[in-house]
Amino acid sequence: MKRFTSDIVIGLEIHAELDTKTKLFCSCPTKGNEEPNSRTCVTCLGMPGSKPVLNKKAVEFALKLCLALNCEVSPELVFSRKSYFYPDMAKNYQISQYEMPLGKNGSLRLRDSKEIDITRVHMEEDPASLVHPAGLKESAYVLVDYNRSGNQLVEIVTEPDLASPDEARDFMKQLITVLNYLEIFDINEGIIKADANVSIRESDYARVEIKNITGFKEIERALMYEVSRQQDEIRHHKKIEQETRAWDSEKGVTFTLRKKETEEDYGYIIDTDLTAVEITGKLVREIKNEMPELAQDKVRKFVEKHRIKKEDAEIIAAEKELAEMFEKVAEEINPILAAKWLRRELVRVLNYNKKELHEVKIDEKHMIDLLKLVENKKITDNVASKILEKLIEKPFDIKEYVKKERLEAVSDVSELEKYCREAIEENPKAVEDYKKGEKKALNFIVGSVMKKTRGKATPKEVNEIILRLIK
Amino acid sequence: MESVHDFIKKVKNGEIDIVEHTYKLIEECKEINKEYNYLNTISEELALNSASEIKIQVKQNKNIKNKKLLGVAVSAKDAICVRDVETTAGSKILQSYRPLFDAFVIQRVKEEGAIIIGKTSQDEFGFGGFSVNVGKGFKIPKNPFDSERSCGGSSGGAAGLTQKLSSHIALGESTGGSIVEPASFCGVYGLCPTYGRVSRYGLIDFSNSMDKIGSMGKTIEDAALLMNVISGYDKKDSTSLNIKNDDYEKYLKKSVKGMKIGIIKEAFGAGVDREAENNVCPGIEELEEEGAKAEEISLELPIKYGIATYYMIAASEASTNLAKFCGMRYGAVEKLEGSFNEYFTKVRSNNFGDEAKRRIMLGTFARMAGYRDAFYLKAMKVRTLMINEYKKAFKKFDALISPTASILPPKFEDIEKLTPLQHYMIDIMTVSPNVAGLPHLNVPVGFEKNLPIGMLLIADHLQEGKLIQLGSAIEKGK
Repeated sequence: MKRFTSDIVIGLEIHAELDTKTKLFCSCPTKGNEEPNSRTCVTCLGMPGSKPVLNKKAVEFALKLCLALNCEVSPELVFSRKSYFYPDMAKNYQISQYEMPLGKNGSLRLRDSKEIDITRVHMEEDPASLVHPAGLKESAYVLVDYNRSGNQLVEIVTEPDLASPDEARDFMKQLITVLNYLEIFDINEGIIKADANVSIRESDYARVEIKNITGFKEIERALMYEVSRQQDEIRHHKKIEQETRAWDSEKGVTFTLRKKETEEDYGYIIDTDLTAVEITGKLVREIKNEMPELAQDKVRKFVEKHRIKKEDAEIIAAEKELAEMFEKVAEEINPILAAKWLRRELVRVLNYNKKELHEVKIDEKHMIDLLKLVENKKITDNVASKILEKLIEKPFDIKEYVKKERLEAVSDVSELEKYCREAIEENPKAVEDYKKGEKKALNFIVGSVMKKTRGKATPKEVNEIILRLIK
Repeated sequence: MESVHDFIKKVKNGEIDIVEHTYKLIEECKEINKEYNYLNTISEELALNSASEIKIQVKQNKNIKNKKLLGVAVSAKDAICVRDVETTAGSKILQSYRPLFDAFVIQRVKEEGAIIIGKTSQDEFGFGGFSVNVGKGFKIPKNPFDSERSCGGSSGGAAGLTQKLSSHIALGESTGGSIVEPASFCGVYGLCPTYGRVSRYGLIDFSNSMDKIGSMGKTIEDAALLMNVISGYDKKDSTSLNIKNDDYEKYLKKSVKGMKIGIIKEAFGAGVDREAENNVCPGIEELEEEGAKAEEISLELPIKYGIATYYMIAASEASTNLAKFCGMRYGAVEKLEGSFNEYFTKVRSNNFGDEAKRRIMLGTFARMAGYRDAFYLKAMKVRTLMINEYKKAFKKFDALISPTASILPPKFEDIEKLTPLQHYMIDIMTVSPNVAGLPHLNVPVGFEKNLPIGMLLIADHLQEGKLIQLGSAIEKGK
């Protein structure tokens, strides 16, 4: 067993749903009709006599993930039955992996380059979903929807290497980025959940497991709550018990599910309905060749080749679509300018509109057109931002738009001076205030000029002219 | 006796009115069932509908030319799913269950024009060798030669019906000897193929790594014909072998001259009834007369560890396979009350028979943490050793021979006196080839005290043809 040194010790077991068209062991579609139990067959319903047949695509997807996480890949794919009784289980056993996970001894780097060891990556089928018509605790009965039953999951188990809720959040974030880059996860609808083991030094690292935390934002909240709960208990001289807790996202608390004396016994045996699949060197090589560049490769490339700041590179690389756009834009535009516009303005405008890049129709051509004008000082930053805001709504030809709306930057100094004089005359109080030492008053005059020029002047230049004029 | 080939010819040329014939056959089934309980369900409606369709096809002379089983009555062990026909695997927990789909083998025989006449009785889920472990409320099938004795199991109904019904071939299923042993007790041919030769799609699982669907017939010809129809690759069963089909009928009446037969030494010794033993010998002599060479061989490992290995693997797998029966979506239900755990427990307690419960407990124990290394995993290793030992023997021999059963069909009153362990030991001849996935055949070789005796022939993987060749030579000599 590892000797823990950090104040907080966290290990994660993450389940992610891979984006295959059909289920793991039958040909039912994973998406489509939402009518309960419409996407089912005898296999995913666990009818007597039905047999599972492995989805080859699912193996490719899981292999990609193993390779991206630097895992040792098992020479054979063997499935086991994990037995336990529960109403969401079609067969009262789950087809999973036990002795020989597809991948083991891998790693993933956090934002700050800290390496988190990954114990194992394995494939398994999703159970059905339970619907509690009157709430989790109050319902007298549950409804079972088998549409999800048999969907492909991968489970990623980390070593207890994470030292804070923030690191746990970052790990999840980095993992989602990897999944997205590999194009094996539906970033909009795919489900990603975690069980977390968390312990603190003060309790001599008594292990508490928290079940079923959805998404990377929730994981940080849940763990922050749990860590302070444990610290509180210690402060009140209580003992931290080894137990399993659940996370109530609405109330923002964890609560006891069960205090367990021993590990649950799932009585694993090999599932001999499925023959062992050999993972040949050839297959692994083929998958490797198909693998796209991953976020961390991109960060390195952006910093080394394009000489942009690491911080900018990380933000751009964290989103696959943004990174791909940057690479194309940086071929035509100064990369530093491109990086600045992509990570600041584009992200700002997207966030404001609550949109993802792939949801809007802005492509690299628009960004190149726009930034060419900025680079050549044909339009001001201000005007460019406004154009970007409009572009989010509906794409158009930027050059024509600038011409039509006469948005070219006012670079004629005499013309600018004219506007500045007007502004000074119209705002005597502001001029007076400035002279009394109120530096902020200058902004008011500059703003007035910007209004007159409809943003076509650069604030810096206007600033200088005004200062010269009122001295 | 009329061969199936002649029968089909008569159906094709209209000499036999297939509807009338089927109707009579159903009546015969009902009559036989009154005393012998070979059928859990007689699929009268399905059978008569199929017969009517065939009659029309014959009239129009459409789609009948190449049908290998046109009008032939086929029964299916109750564990084999037949669409819309009650399929229970002999268990109360599946009573009233009507599958939504046909098993691969049912699909195949239907395609070839067979008429499904019903579901034959069996030990619950295949758990037994005497068909006395039938599910709660099911009737025990009886030996066709003496109704106070067992017809063997678990495909007991299939074997008995094959002996009793005038014209019919049966689909049986074997996990540890459930085709050849009842075939031996009922005096019919039972052919269990190599694991993977016949798709298990639609077979209600007992032990996934050992379950095999096979054929049973009054003649070796019938068994070979049915095997020809049901064998072959099926993409719906991952363990189905994707290899070229063999034509089993071409081995019928093929000379056995020069074939080498290994007589398993350990199978003719202590613990084996002299009566069972003695009667196998004429069969061997028959083969020798036909030019085969017999020699003794020692196969210590399969005989010594076969039973233990078999029960560890079979019970472990069975205990997971039976988990799905909990009264949620099909089969028996109970009053809905309490937590899901309480409900599942009630359904399972009230509807599984004793032997099913025993195997669930045995199997669950064998795969528990702390025990699985010693039991389940050890058994898996021994299985590999057993296969190796057989493989070595097949370098020298074309087939191995032993009596199929170590005893004559026992009386029900004597079976009651057996402990579960003694009960398990009866399978000693048949479990090992099953554990190793080897094809094997029961050949009826004679009678002792008016009870049939069977010889067990075992061949290497995919060498079903050799078994048919040898079986046919013995049949000819009779």
